[in-house]
Amino acid sequence: MTIASVVEEAIHETVGLSTDECLKCNICNEVCPVARVDDRFPGPKYVGPQAQRFRLAAPVPINLDGRPVHTPDLTVDWCSGCGWCTTACPAGVKIAEVNSRARASIRAGHRPRLRDWLISQTDLLGRVGSPFTPLANWTLQNRLFRWVLELVLGIHRRAPLPKYAGSSFRSRFKGRGGLVGRAGEVELPPPDRAVVYFHGCAANYYEQHVAEAAIAVLERNGFQVIAPPQNCCGLPMISNGLYQGARSKARDNLDVLAEYARRGYRIVGTSTSCTHTLKAEYAEMLDLHDDDARAVSQATWDICEFLLELHEEGRLDTEFGRVDLELPYHAPCQLRSHGIGLPAMDLFALVPGLRAVDMDHDCCGIAGTYGLKKEKYDIAMRVGDDLFRGIEASRASQTACDSETCRWQIASATDRPSRHPVEYLAAAYAAADDATRDAPAAAH
Amino acid sequence: MPSADVAVIGAGLAGLLTAVRLAERGARVVVLAEGNGALHWAGGPIDLGFRPGARNAGAAVGHLARRRGHPYALLGAEVAPAVDWFVRLTTELGLPHAGSLDGGFGPLPTGIGGIRPVSVVPEAQVPALLPWAPGERLVVTGHAGYKDFWPRAVASSLARPEVWGGFARPERVIGIAVEWPGLRERRNLNALRIAEQFDDPDWRAATLDVTARAVASAGSGPLRVGLPAVLGLRDHARVLAEATQRLGAPLLELPLVPPGIPGIRLHDALRAKLRALGGRILIGERVARVETTKTKVTAVATEAATRELVTRVGALVLATGGVAGSGLVGDPNGSIRETVLGLPADGPPIERWLHGDPLDPASLPIAAAGVRTDDALRPVHPQRPGEGPLFDNVRVVGSLLAGQHWMVDRSGDGVALASAWRGAASLESRRAPTGRPSRRAEAVR
Repeated sequence: MTIASVVEEAIHETVGLSTDECLKCNICNEVCPVARVDDRFPGPKYVGPQAQRFRLAAPVPINLDGRPVHTPDLTVDWCSGCGWCTTACPAGVKIAEVNSRARASIRAGHRPRLRDWLISQTDLLGRVGSPFTPLANWTLQNRLFRWVLELVLGIHRRAPLPKYAGSSFRSRFKGRGGLVGRAGEVELPPPDRAVVYFHGCAANYYEQHVAEAAIAVLERNGFQVIAPPQNCCGLPMISNGLYQGARSKARDNLDVLAEYARRGYRIVGTSTSCTHTLKAEYAEMLDLHDDDARAVSQATWDICEFLLELHEEGRLDTEFGRVDLELPYHAPCQLRSHGIGLPAMDLFALVPGLRAVDMDHDCCGIAGTYGLKKEKYDIAMRVGDDLFRGIEASRASQTACDSETCRWQIASATDRPSRHPVEYLAAAYAAADDATRDAPAAAH
Repeated sequence: MPSADVAVIGAGLAGLLTAVRLAERGARVVVLAEGNGALHWAGGPIDLGFRPGARNAGAAVGHLARRRGHPYALLGAEVAPAVDWFVRLTTELGLPHAGSLDGGFGPLPTGIGGIRPVSVVPEAQVPALLPWAPGERLVVTGHAGYKDFWPRAVASSLARPEVWGGFARPERVIGIAVEWPGLRERRNLNALRIAEQFDDPDWRAATLDVTARAVASAGSGPLRVGLPAVLGLRDHARVLAEATQRLGAPLLELPLVPPGIPGIRLHDALRAKLRALGGRILIGERVARVETTKTKVTAVATEAATRELVTRVGALVLATGGVAGSGLVGDPNGSIRETVLGLPADGPPIERWLHGDPLDPASLPIAAAGVRTDDALRPVHPQRPGEGPLFDNVRVVGSLLAGQHWMVDRSGDGVALASAWRGAASLESRRAPTGRPSRRAEAVR
């Protein structure tokens, strides 16, 4: 190992030091969806690489570990964490990651605001609300309650909140004999015949149709689905600067998932923000660099990425039935951060009749929990405005998107349902089955 | 499928134009770029070439084409058809450019009070190509308190005859700062924010009213109005038409420090055109490695969160930029390499990378470093060009081409246009290779 290689590694691999590569070219400020609509946020360049020079002079410059670090600029809190600055930077500066850490350093050592803590507890909210689904849904749709919620907690009264789906996906899956244990506890099919499903909180408590569609598509292609015990991935906490809590979620997940990963099982998720967290943010944000974290990162796939890989291997069942639909598609910011291209668009192209259109819009605005906040709701709506108008102009009856909070935002703003791409693949398989049933003689 | 007839690496002017041209000819194109390209800094003018005393850009291009080793030595004849195509294309995209190789240079004032000699410009800068009439004045105006544009400072610089470098100039230059509605105390304003304000018809109407009153206060008589280049982002054509009508005088959008709104408009329009032609553009994709046979590139692997994204390609276009972009890297031992394929690059010896007064653009001989090619823009070894192309299905376009000193020659955009034109023409529409796709590599970050 030479000094040059150490320096190079520090510059390229360390989030904080990557700011040394900044040319001050302003491209991050140009692509920032928040700075585009609201100049209370001065833009990623100012709160990122420029302010970072002062942060680096602080007592704990890079590894925060909950200790306070002086930060010169509180406006970093207006950053939504969408990550477009990092994506567009031509010099490889990890701007969004710098900003997330700066936010965490502001939070560290303080008790979190009740609202920020609460909306970060996605699995707790799911567990508490699900048993009381009718009441919870009624309450969350009640305008008076939402008004009180805004007044007391600061969650905007019109922000899109999901609806509980009754008993959780996990309990249903377990109830019908699905594999839910830890590796070693249960008899498992071999790794080329089974995948671990990371359902995340959304598919567990609110959108079980997404989980069911994923299972149908995976089983159709010869993979049994294992849904081992799992927590929230921790991203909502990371987004709200609550790194300690996020690390604890991450540790619990890694404990279970790493063993599967080491045994060669692939971890497939339907929430593209959860899978990106497992892949990248445990290391980049939470400084988890151990073998468990690495094994899980290497084993994790976004479901569309996984299905497209099967297709490349010639293993994807491409006998799709017809789905006649015009379908605007929004690629979430987190999907862009994966760097895997637009796998959903490539899969849509395999389905006869499905006319998917990539809307090529930067961000829908919600950025996880950002757009729920009273003081940020308007920003989030303006960030997504062009996307919403484009969808409305298309007259399509529904839209597709890989991330749940984006779907809720888009559905709420455009007043039409938004679905996960895998739901259309499941529908296309079902259509193929229907066609075969209806016309057995016509087959072959 | 992540496969394409052609993958273009880089999303600047050369990359996007090559991609659009290929897509127009029916190729399936994907643009992979590490980040957004230099169009985001561009102020509007399309620099074809310049030298003091040249009567028009054609003469400057001809001069450069006779210079050994300049890209125009290969591409000089392509500039005219490429400019014709570019003007047609931008007109179709609603961002019409005007000017030509033989029309002569005009002086375009800039947002820091300098002058750029221009020959092809977007509509909002076309008045710079027209001679100043006797008695005609230039009124420079903009929002007071916008930190990137100071009308009175710009005007006082432009009032000095020597700034105009021998070009005919206005009889007087007057700077007037006005307050545009609702912008007071907004210290974080950048060009993008103001441009988007102009897209709002109500704000625009009110702003043009106060601006028109300020212009009228400069007195009667013929004049042109210079404004910062912020006249709308998505609705620029309408903003320009309304502003010209309301102010009652020819307008000039003066280029600013980045962000460059005219360049962003062009980027957005080319990107939309590429998508409409079925192409795909992915930003944030840094090339990690390339799969090759002895003579061909077969796949491009880009960095991703965990494993690489492998795109199988029929051909590859390198539009990654030169020393100032990310297309070249120099080693401490003095060798200069191209970054995607590791191609050997041509450039000055290390002791002459930087040479002389650091504030003089001519003091950077390293800026002319780049990749040498054959007539078809296929890369060759700089010392052994006679051995033929290093890869059959690779083309090099834009500022990665060796021998141009764009800061001095002002030929960067012309090389981008001409090489896009030639590069696309020399790549036949190809199909991606069939057969067993390669597995995605498991990359350890």
